[in-house]
Amino acid sequence: MEEKEKKKHRAKQSGPKAEKKRKRYLNDLGIGEEENARKRNPKAFTVQSAVRMARTFHRTQDLKTKKHHIPVVDRTPLEPPPVVVVVVGPPKVGKSTVIKCLIKNFTRQKLVEIRGPVTIVSGKKRRLTIIECGCDINTMIDLAKVADLVLMLIDASFGFEMETFEFLNICQVHGFPKIMGVLTHLDTFKNNKQLKKTKKKLKHRFWTEVYPGAKLFYLSGMVHGEYQKQEIHNLGRFISVMKFRPLTWQTSHPYILADRMEELTNPEDVRINPKCDRKISLYGYLRGAHLKNKSQIHMPGVGDFTVSDVSFLPDPCALPEQQKKRSLNEKEKLVYAPLSGVGGIVYDKDAVYIDLGGSHAHEKEEEEVRPNHELVQSLISTHSAIDVKMASSKVSLFVDSTPLGSEDVGQEFVMPKEERQVDLKTGRVRRKAVFEDDEKENDDVASDEEDDQEEGDEEEAVSEDGSDGDDENDAEEESERVLLQEGMAVRRAKRLKTEMAQEEAVNELPAFADSDDDLEMSSQEEEETAPEDSEMEEDEEEEEEEGDIQRTCEDESSGSESEVANKRADSKQYDMDSECTEMKSQISEHSPKRKAVLTTDSGNCTAEEASESEDENSSLEDGDDEGGSHEELEAEESNRNGFQHSQAKKANSVGQTKVKTVDTEDDDVENLLREEEEYEEKIDLSADTAGALKWKEDLTQKAAEAFLRQQRSTPNLRKLVYGTAVEDEDHESEDADDELGGLFRVSRPDKASKQKANALDCSKFLVEKLQDWDLEEVMSSIRDCFVTGKWEDDKDAAKLLEEDEELYGDFEDLETGVVHKGKAAAGGEQSGSEEEEDEDEKMSKPEPEEEEKKKERMDKKRKLKEMFDAEYDEGDATYFDDLKEEMHKQAQLNRAEFEDQDDETRVQYEGFRPGMYVRIEIENVPCEFVLNFDPHYPIILGGLGNSEGNVGYVQLRLKKHRWYKKILKTRDPLILSLGWRRFQTIPMFYMEDHNGRHRLLKYTPQHMHCGAAFWGPITPQGTGFLAVQSVSGTTPDFRIAATGVVLDLDKSITIVKKLKLTGFPFKIFKNTCFIKGMFNSQLEVAKFEGAAIRSVSGIRGQIKKALRAPVGAFRATFEDKLLMSDIVFVRTWYPVSIPMFYNPVTSLLKPAGEKDSWSGMKTTGQLRYERGIKLKQNKDSLYKPIVREKRHFNKLHIPKALQKALPFKNKPKNLEKKGKTPKDQWRPAVIREPHEKKISALLSALSTVNNYKIKKAKAKHREQLKEYLKVKQKEEEQKFKRQKEAKKKVYRILGQREKKRQKSSLKGSSKGGKST
Amino acid sequence: MAGEAHCLSYTGCNFLRQRLVLATLSGRPLKIRKIRAKEEDPGLRDFEASFIRLIDKVTNGSRIEINQTGTTLYYQPGLLYGGSLEHDCSPSRGIGYYLESLLCLAPFMKHPLKIVLRGVTNDQVDPSVDVLKATALPLLKKFGIDGESLEIKINRRGMPPKGGGEILFTCPVRKVLQPVQFTDPGKIKRIRGTAYSVRVSPQMANRMVESARGILNKFLPDIYIYTDHMKGVSSGKSPGFGMCLTAETINGTILSAELASNPQGQGAAVLPEELGQNCAKLLLEEIYRGGCVDSTNQSLALLLMTLGQRDVSKVLLGPLSPYTIEFLRHLRSFFQIMFKIETKTAEEEHTGGEKVLMTCVGIGFCNLSKTIR
Repeated sequence: MEEKEKKKHRAKQSGPKAEKKRKRYLNDLGIGEEENARKRNPKAFTVQSAVRMARTFHRTQDLKTKKHHIPVVDRTPLEPPPVVVVVVGPPKVGKSTVIKCLIKNFTRQKLVEIRGPVTIVSGKKRRLTIIECGCDINTMIDLAKVADLVLMLIDASFGFEMETFEFLNICQVHGFPKIMGVLTHLDTFKNNKQLKKTKKKLKHRFWTEVYPGAKLFYLSGMVHGEYQKQEIHNLGRFISVMKFRPLTWQTSHPYILADRMEELTNPEDVRINPKCDRKISLYGYLRGAHLKNKSQIHMPGVGDFTVSDVSFLPDPCALPEQQKKRSLNEKEKLVYAPLSGVGGIVYDKDAVYIDLGGSHAHEKEEEEVRPNHELVQSLISTHSAIDVKMASSKVSLFVDSTPLGSEDVGQEFVMPKEERQVDLKTGRVRRKAVFEDDEKENDDVASDEEDDQEEGDEEEAVSEDGSDGDDENDAEEESERVLLQEGMAVRRAKRLKTEMAQEEAVNELPAFADSDDDLEMSSQEEEETAPEDSEMEEDEEEEEEEGDIQRTCEDESSGSESEVANKRADSKQYDMDSECTEMKSQISEHSPKRKAVLTTDSGNCTAEEASESEDENSSLEDGDDEGGSHEELEAEESNRNGFQHSQAKKANSVGQTKVKTVDTEDDDVENLLREEEEYEEKIDLSADTAGALKWKEDLTQKAAEAFLRQQRSTPNLRKLVYGTAVEDEDHESEDADDELGGLFRVSRPDKASKQKANALDCSKFLVEKLQDWDLEEVMSSIRDCFVTGKWEDDKDAAKLLEEDEELYGDFEDLETGVVHKGKAAAGGEQSGSEEEEDEDEKMSKPEPEEEEKKKERMDKKRKLKEMFDAEYDEGDATYFDDLKEEMHKQAQLNRAEFEDQDDETRVQYEGFRPGMYVRIEIENVPCEFVLNFDPHYPIILGGLGNSEGNVGYVQLRLKKHRWYKKILKTRDPLILSLGWRRFQTIPMFYMEDHNGRHRLLKYTPQHMHCGAAFWGPITPQGTGFLAVQSVSGTTPDFRIAATGVVLDLDKSITIVKKLKLTGFPFKIFKNTCFIKGMFNSQLEVAKFEGAAIRSVSGIRGQIKKALRAPVGAFRATFEDKLLMSDIVFVRTWYPVSIPMFYNPVTSLLKPAGEKDSWSGMKTTGQLRYERGIKLKQNKDSLYKPIVREKRHFNKLHIPKALQKALPFKNKPKNLEKKGKTPKDQWRPAVIREPHEKKISALLSALSTVNNYKIKKAKAKHREQLKEYLKVKQKEEEQKFKRQKEAKKKVYRILGQREKKRQKSSLKGSSKGGKST
Repeated sequence: MAGEAHCLSYTGCNFLRQRLVLATLSGRPLKIRKIRAKEEDPGLRDFEASFIRLIDKVTNGSRIEINQTGTTLYYQPGLLYGGSLEHDCSPSRGIGYYLESLLCLAPFMKHPLKIVLRGVTNDQVDPSVDVLKATALPLLKKFGIDGESLEIKINRRGMPPKGGGEILFTCPVRKVLQPVQFTDPGKIKRIRGTAYSVRVSPQMANRMVESARGILNKFLPDIYIYTDHMKGVSSGKSPGFGMCLTAETINGTILSAELASNPQGQGAAVLPEELGQNCAKLLLEEIYRGGCVDSTNQSLALLLMTLGQRDVSKVLLGPLSPYTIEFLRHLRSFFQIMFKIETKTAEEEHTGGEKVLMTCVGIGFCNLSKTIR
């Protein structure tokens, strides 16, 4: 039994296993796969058609190149700004919930109410700025322009809404940011199948709108009013790894999504006039391109402004420092949203609340705020006369312009402003005091300097007081220190005067005049070497005064100073020492070089002069030089200390005054010093252009000057060109008041400036004095500029050749068969570089020789490899690769160029780079912006390029949106969104004819592009735009009326419309006729002479000449004779003017809650509708019932002669009607006899009977036939049935037989297969 | 729009060309006051008026207002238009005076510029047309402004005081410029030049060439100075002669120098030998100054760097000329751009004076006039 139970193994006949087995089996045999076939028989698979091959090749190449994007230089900064994530969707779809959940996901913080953008750190290298976008079309347009990523929320229970599509369309026009869909309200579906179906449907619709495969997220349900944690987490992950494509508009324009706004207006101004223009500051991350100070910006919804000041602040939401761990810790998960009250300030309608218990960012923030606060405070607190106010305001401007962030600046603010300013001046004054007596004798001194001097005297007095009581407390230390300096300086100056006779003093004085110079330094150093109380130097901030101080220290060794001295000073001094040594070395380097230059320089002084004052010169000039360089150094130093600009400025001003004083001192160097003075002027932005006339006047002086310039150009070139940074700012600020412009605003004699201002405008750089090119030394100075001169080692042909010889010395001349042997390496060395060899031998060590050889071999190998690479790698490099490589190089250079500089200087060269957190001050903002400020609406500052702030005519290619219901009419106002702007304008639509004529259209064509031209802001070509008819309210319809692109910009444009002038002939000759009524004067006719005219019937002609008789009549010729009833017309083109109407949409100025209700100019249609005015219609254009008269045609008449000639067939057969038959031809009527009557009656009766009988019989027969057919059919059916049965039987048998046969055959075959 | 705050204001007629050119390129209105206000003959001179007229010709929609005495000029720039134009320059300044500014503007027109300028081709004050042809055009090519149509053709030579010369200047249009890194001038491989003479003995040119070669041969054997003697209609209205020399390096840098004879009836007669020698010396002087760009074209190079894309451009210059320094200041006020200026002292001894390395980031200028199809 058990045996029987066992199942026999059956090999698988089908399924994957069997298939595999079969395959293996076939493979073993070596037959089977196509691939093998291809291998086995390659000939069968070669090219069959060359054309086809070429085509496939082309196609693949096309596909390949299609994938390429035009490479662009990667200009993304190293630390990019936060990614802007815009959350869009119709109302009640869950936007704020998503934002809250995302913030919670990233930062573990829960924000209660979100207003404005929220910046969070989402990862080690990424920050996000999340902002919600309402359904107001203004907001949608603005945010689409700044978005990097769009989260498009869709209510799945409802489906797509118009807002979604509108936003997609806006995105398409303004560059397409990344878009991610999020389906919400998925929990409303009870039926799972329905849910699936909806998801799929929505997904596919979404794909058609964005791109196939676009990411669509599903947020399935809510838990405690929040989305599910895991889903949000996934969403966050997706956001933080997303990559972005650069968008053209965004990368070429700087822009800021402001996250904080503050008003800086003087409260008094507001009090006087509550509607006065405001001054505000806006904060935010800079994105896009570099922003330059004083550039133009546009605030969508407000208007155009010029940036009055930009400064960068420490990042309030900084990325974590370089760390290698995997995730962020809690401290680094920052969130910054001042408008929502996180990390800053809460805005209410009429108050600002500062969140004292804020986050980490808040503390920094406070410091930033303070200076502004200070400014405002100072403005408020001054209860004094206007001139005093002016003075103080100047000070405050200066304070404002100093960079924020350094504590020292803050400390300085504590000091009273007046004093500070004086302090600035006393820098000069103190120097003045030295030469007080001399100056009184002098007339040269400017009056303002005298003023300064007086002030200085006062200062002196004050300082004395200060020094008395300087051990009062530490808080006053700073100010006192400054005061002390004043005092010391004065004393020192006096002392100096006594020393004048001494030789050293002579050297010192000019040097002293121009700040700290080397001589002073050297002497100072000597002093320092002596074990004196050098630690007393507490004034190292002002290094130029170092020398002074040191000496004064000796004089007054009062204890007060030593008290003040502190550790910092010590360390500073150390720095100083090192600097001094640097100086020294520089001097030593410099002086010989300078002398060399003296001989060769083109613009040097004359020989006598040189000999006369060589010593002085050298010392002086060196001094100057060093002074300059020292100043720079000092600037650096001060940077370190945080004293930046103010310091530099002081130094400079000191320098100026000193120079002026000097020329009273020394007669020997007077001349030179005058030059120097002039040079100083130059430093102060002077525009000495060495006008041709001027230099002819006094060559020697000029030569000296040029010499000086040459000398000093080295360290001071930047200053020479731009002035110092601080001066800059000052001038800029004064520019507004002073009409002269920054360049000429220098305190110097008026004459000079005028001469310069009106000097000869010539670009040639004249050579003041030729060098003597016959001298050998002079000639040798440029010897190496020529190819005949000495080359650098890596370029010297002889050397390179030598090297090559070693490498590729051997070669065989294939023509002659001669084998050239290169010199052996050793031999080469012997002949080529015997000296080296000798040296080597001298060293006589085998090891280095070995090494050398090894090195040589390596070199050789390397070179060969390079050669090989060059030969074989080149082939792959396509044009595209080259281009990419080039771009990459440029990007590298861009990054590297300013990398090592500090932000302050970098900002000056590059502008503010994207990624910085900046504060922008804007003036003259309408008060409504501040009064009606609503943080829910985004504030965007969009930078404008050059001349993008101007207006002109703009030509567009425009297409009415296919979903927009109406067509657009020419001369109807339309709201465009173009560039950063939203504005209302009046476009004129046109078509371009084949000859380039722009023909006016009345309406936009339905499904076609047309041209449009309007008067508005100049925007670069290729910028996309969209048009809406109104931005207010909501309509169920699609709101976007048209889209398109800017084609051309111009200041004039010609659009024409057709004008037909009609006239009537009043005299007709053969082909000539006189025409009247077309023109009104002979002049008009003269203008149109030769113009083509046409009659309505199509006869063409030409205007010839005006006639005298009826005014405006003319002679014209035609190709045929005209009729008097003809109307003649000429087709002309009349230019239409485009209305100069440009009205920015100022939606942000509307009161809160009404911001989406901006309405501009109305269309005539709207107005007519509102006021119920009916259009007065032209009577002629009304439709009237058409009455058509019945047309009557005459009979065709064929002449008799023609009739005769016609063949019979065509002859008119007008058979005449028979006339009345004559009486004789009338046939008589038949009258029957009674008998005949009877017979006929009977016959007719009989025939009736017969007819009836026949009819009856026929009916009967038909009945019978019917019966018969019925029976027959029945029979037939039965017969068919029988036959079917029989057939069935047969087929069954046949089928069985067939099956059997098949079975048997299969068995047989399988057997056969196995046997083989 | 942003209006008056946007307007720049200057005094004096100096650097008028710079200001007008930069105002046109930046689209900012400009006001110049006190033009020779205190002089006996106040107001704009004829050559300045002619220049303003030229600017008006090449632009569309410019507004130029000059007060009655000509001491105040208000200029509101339009868009650069270009096209085929003709202009009669004032003979009191050379054509170079006008051409220099046109070189700055021409690449940014709506239609390629093709302009015939008539006047003085060579004089002592302005860079001559020959020099600009030899130096400025290769410079433009480096910024990607090239093609067959970039050309200066001297049809007729005109010397001061009467002029009568004629040139044809054509320039293609570009949308963006390439950034340049032009820091190695290379060594001078050849010296070329033109010695021209009109309405004087044709022998003059040969005499100049001889003397110039005498000096330059000490440095380089590859010297060829063309003699260009023009006759008849193409010789202008006044006699004169002169010479311009160019030195070309292996890297394509071209340095130039030129001299012209005193105009007829002004100053003493100049010997051609002397002129040739002096011109050669001037060229040596220019070589001594060195740099990758000729001292005359410094401002052009800096402008084109400024107007590049937002990339770093570098150029090595010789000592900055006063004109260039002023130009840098103007660039800052018009475009808010500052150059990084570094002084480079050559390591080797015999390569002339100190050089200046200028670095800047372009402002991302794009040609707003050019039409797209």
